[in-house]
Amino acid sequence: MTEIFLKLIIGVVSMTALGIVGGFIIQGVDRKLAALMQARIGPLLRQPWWDFLKLMRKENVVPEHAVPWVYNAAPIMAFASVITIFLYLPFAGFNPLMEGYGDLILIMYLLAMPALAMVFGGFASGSPYATIGAQREMVTMIGYELPLGAIVISFAWKMAQSGLAHPFSLKTIAANPIWNLVGPFGIIGFILLLLAMIVVTPAELSKGPFDAPEAKSELAEGLLVEYSGRNLAMFYLALGAKMIAMLGLTVALFFPYTISQYFQVDTTVKIVIEVLFYIIKIFLVMFVSVTLMRVSMARFRITQIVEIYWKLGGTMTFLGLFLIMLDGKL
Amino acid sequence: MEYMTTLSSGSGFWHPLLWLTAFVVVVVLAVIIRSFGARKYKMDTEQTKPFLSGNDESDPNEIHVRAGNLYWGYLETLKGYYEKMISLHTGNPADYLLWLFGVLALVVLIGLLA
Repeated sequence: MTEIFLKLIIGVVSMTALGIVGGFIIQGVDRKLAALMQARIGPLLRQPWWDFLKLMRKENVVPEHAVPWVYNAAPIMAFASVITIFLYLPFAGFNPLMEGYGDLILIMYLLAMPALAMVFGGFASGSPYATIGAQREMVTMIGYELPLGAIVISFAWKMAQSGLAHPFSLKTIAANPIWNLVGPFGIIGFILLLLAMIVVTPAELSKGPFDAPEAKSELAEGLLVEYSGRNLAMFYLALGAKMIAMLGLTVALFFPYTISQYFQVDTTVKIVIEVLFYIIKIFLVMFVSVTLMRVSMARFRITQIVEIYWKLGGTMTFLGLFLIMLDGKL
Repeated sequence: MEYMTTLSSGSGFWHPLLWLTAFVVVVVLAVIIRSFGARKYKMDTEQTKPFLSGNDESDPNEIHVRAGNLYWGYLETLKGYYEKMISLHTGNPADYLLWLFGVLALVVLIGLLA
């Protein structure tokens, strides 16, 4: 058991570094691509790093109506919960670090924790804009949890129906690409689930067009309006790392394929190939589900967000689940 | 050493203690990273007043989101559904029993057909 704890601690430290560095890179690429799509030059790729440094040097104001301990703890909780997700995600063909100690349902709950930390932080700010933002964040969460839950259930159902042990395990899902397990109806069903996942991703990451909780032009950053300095910097790190985690989850569920088996090269080169292939997959998923979504659409109202997730998302995912079950029975 | 076992429902599984350990380690790392940032600010100045786009601050109790409005966007979107559901809640026990037996009959019927 000591070995596991030692592996865990080393893993946590390296995953924290990966989450921070990966978060900076992916945010930089996202901002650059968004700028190019809007015919702007855009920031440098390393701009998120400079933004973080700038925030760390700014004053860390605690508003007079705030509940200081909740207000200060929220960014740390958000960051810590995101980093723990990495322990249960497979990366570049490697099994999750804590394989066998946490499943897809745990990841679903851990994905909700940073959003909850932001909600607590927003309410603890003692600002009207922040409380409206926090209220919207809660409603958005209720919205996207329905399609996300249906996606998780669909995967687990298909894995169990295929006779695989531990249907909620990401190792099982990654080792058995879903597209190889289903027939034509199942493929249509999982395409619907993939589309739902693409729509859920921006809301999970508080990105447009589902950024009503922050709504810069309306609520002046909403639930983050009072945050500054190192507290805001920690939220910045958490959101960057969450981007990697969410995209990593999409890749693990829908695109777990590896390519190194097609190359007759050394193990080290194979690892490099897998890592590069994984990065390409992450960037492609990011481009479609984050950059393209926020550049091509204006912000939705909070009522429209619920409508999209509960009516459209709910219908899509349940229809997808129905098709997958029908496929399983044929 | 029961506390060291992975909890399993047959399908799902997780190990709370390992997660908690990881969480505590990241919290420590986060506190260390945060400690490199600037700590000071000007207390009891205009800086600590809530940002309201330059407007005067009203009584906080009047302008904050009340608990009853916490799920406003959700309730507003599903207004039609809630109106129907509320109208069905008549407060008459006979109506509730009718619903109970109706749903039970439906479940039995589905069970028999399946």
